Amino acid sequence: MIDLHGYGPRLAEGALVTIELAILSLILAIVLGLATASAKMSRNWVLHRLGTLYTTLIRGVPDLVLMMLLFFGGQIGVNMFTDWLYNRFDIDIFININEFVAGVVTIGLIFGAYMGETFRGAFLAVENGQIEAGRAYGMSHWLVFRRIRFPQMMRHALPGLSNNWMVLLKTTALVSVIGLSDMVKVAAEASKATREPFTFMIIVAVIYLLIASVSEWGFARLQKHYDIGYGEAD
Amino acid sequence: MADTPIPLEVRNITKRFGDTEVLKGLSLKAHKGDVITLIGASGSGKSTFLRCMNLLEQPNEGELIVHGESIRFKEAKHGREPADWKQVVNMRAKLSMVFQSFNLWAHMTLLENVIEAPIHVLGKSKREAIDHARELLERVGLGERADYYPAQLSGGQQQRGAIARALAMDPEVMLFDEPTSALDPELVGDVLKVMRDLAEEGRTMIVVTHEMAFARDVSTQVIYLHQGQVEEAGPPDQVLGNPNSERLKQFLAPKH
Amino acid sequence: MESLMNWLQAQLADNSIFTLQTLSYYGDGLVTTIQLVFLSLIIGLVLAVPLAIGRGSRHAWVRLPIFFYCYVFRGTPLLVQLYLIYYGVVFVEGIQDTWLWVILEKPFVPALVAFTLNTGAYTTEIFRGAIKSTPKGEIEAARAYGMSWSLMLRRIVLPSAFRRALPAYGNEVIFMLHASAIASVVTIMDLTGAARFVYARFYAPFDAFLFVAAIYLCLTFTIIYFFRHLEKRLLAHLKPASG
Repeated sequence: MIDLHGYGPRLAEGALVTIELAILSLILAIVLGLATASAKMSRNWVLHRLGTLYTTLIRGVPDLVLMMLLFFGGQIGVNMFTDWLYNRFDIDIFININEFVAGVVTIGLIFGAYMGETFRGAFLAVENGQIEAGRAYGMSHWLVFRRIRFPQMMRHALPGLSNNWMVLLKTTALVSVIGLSDMVKVAAEASKATREPFTFMIIVAVIYLLIASVSEWGFARLQKHYDIGYGEAD
Repeated sequence: MADTPIPLEVRNITKRFGDTEVLKGLSLKAHKGDVITLIGASGSGKSTFLRCMNLLEQPNEGELIVHGESIRFKEAKHGREPADWKQVVNMRAKLSMVFQSFNLWAHMTLLENVIEAPIHVLGKSKREAIDHARELLERVGLGERADYYPAQLSGGQQQRGAIARALAMDPEVMLFDEPTSALDPELVGDVLKVMRDLAEEGRTMIVVTHEMAFARDVSTQVIYLHQGQVEEAGPPDQVLGNPNSERLKQFLAPKH
Repeated sequence: MESLMNWLQAQLADNSIFTLQTLSYYGDGLVTTIQLVFLSLIIGLVLAVPLAIGRGSRHAWVRLPIFFYCYVFRGTPLLVQLYLIYYGVVFVEGIQDTWLWVILEKPFVPALVAFTLNTGAYTTEIFRGAIKSTPKGEIEAARAYGMSWSLMLRRIVLPSAFRRALPAYGNEVIFMLHASAIASVVTIMDLTGAARFVYARFYAPFDAFLFVAAIYLCLTFTIIYFFRHLEKRLLAHLKPASG
């Protein structure tokens, strides 16, 4: 058996943090992505510009820099805001940005930009005739979105979504740099303390590969679900 | 004349894909200046037969003699394969092929396409290859398009360019695999005209085609294939003008 | 030159953070970042070409190890790879007493190794995809014209694959530039390292990180512009002529 020098439980906790962080960021990213895609496809030019600005800026700057900006800068920003509240309205609150929230927000923000591109492409891939057919049968705007556009869009979006998720999963490792105890941080500490970097880093690498393999399987099943009716005709 | 080896002879070619036998012992002899057309319904094996002649498909049995030299085969794990790939490479350089979908190399201009194999396979000098290529492109009516990329040309132009590429090899035999099937009807004429000219100047050609008028006017021999076998063969007047086989009669009957 | 310096000093006079001193940190950081990214990309590229060819080999003993390498390096975070190599070297028994330590003591070399292996894996997959998508007919034509395997690879398959890989490779270059920010984690004073230093010294996160974000943004746009230009030149052949 591999000797983990008592780091086993902490490593397991770290793995849990990684998974929670990844899933919460994914949800935020999907919400932001849908919003961005809508903004970029909107006829309102302000929304359109805003969407473009967001995706361009986010994709032009390293994840780590954004994360530090949000984590270190965010706290100062929040403090300035609470000070202002106190001075102006005599409301005394204290908000502490913890590493987990900063991590979720940053990763969600970053991947919201990538998801935006994925969703936009996928929405554009849905044939207009499908939507017109829905309208022609008296479906409301929302009903058309929910019953026709969204399910058809997902078929086109899934490959990109799955790809973004894989990258997102690996990006979570960066939160160890701002002090969150995910599995990479635990492994790094354990490596230094025990002087056995290979043991811990390889375990962490294997866990990442495992999560990736499981999600790959999950995405393949989802793709099958959304591919219904698109089988290759002969 | 009897001493010059004949350009291409194939004997008893068979080809199986899995359990289905698509070629059942086909033979053919192309003398210098022959234009042999292979006709038949789709699935009759005519393209596969042509592709066996330059070993793009590996025949399971049979002999291949190019310019008097017999290709050597050996038994391998997955069936028969050529014993000496150098020999095959040399053989292929003597038989240049024109494809249904042109298959010009997309990252090279027309001129570069034409000089590529002469320089790198035949070892010609660049100067010589370019001069020859310009002459050939002029001949197929593409002198002004030498520096265009394939994607910038129409299908008919691409196919004429591909013929120039084939000619640049100074081939013993030219193999045409349905050269006009991928073209819009109005572009077929130009390509056929180039091919007629080649036949007239005495090129040895083997042509898989659906163009019956071309087969009738130009070929020295027509072979009608059905399910991997020769159903009827002979001079065009006989095979196309006065067919014996019921199937061939039906095949030649005007479509309604 | 001196007047320029004076002008700069005057501009920076009423600003306590962006002194010439801190600007020179950023300057040195920029040089380090570019060195690191450029070197790892070049070595990774040289590595990737034979690997991409081998990845499609008929022999399992060639194909599988390359597949495994790509799978592991693309499936795990670069940070983990960096830690593994950095700590792996540091903690090797007795290495600090050997002459090698002179080179390995600086984190630059382990970081370079990690980055190179990482980009090598991604680039291999990019080229593999491009090689696989070579139109079948073009390969057939090459064979029909008597080209040998190596000649075909050299003249037909690789030149056309490189061009097709260009857009994806452009993304990889940007990805590496951004990924290189984690070099600062192992105490390398790259761009991000400089920003972290300035932040720690002045406790001014907005100034420190927004400034460095702007530099990265400029670098990113430069790369995008460069690759667009390259694509326009090298992918012209795929566009139908207008008119």
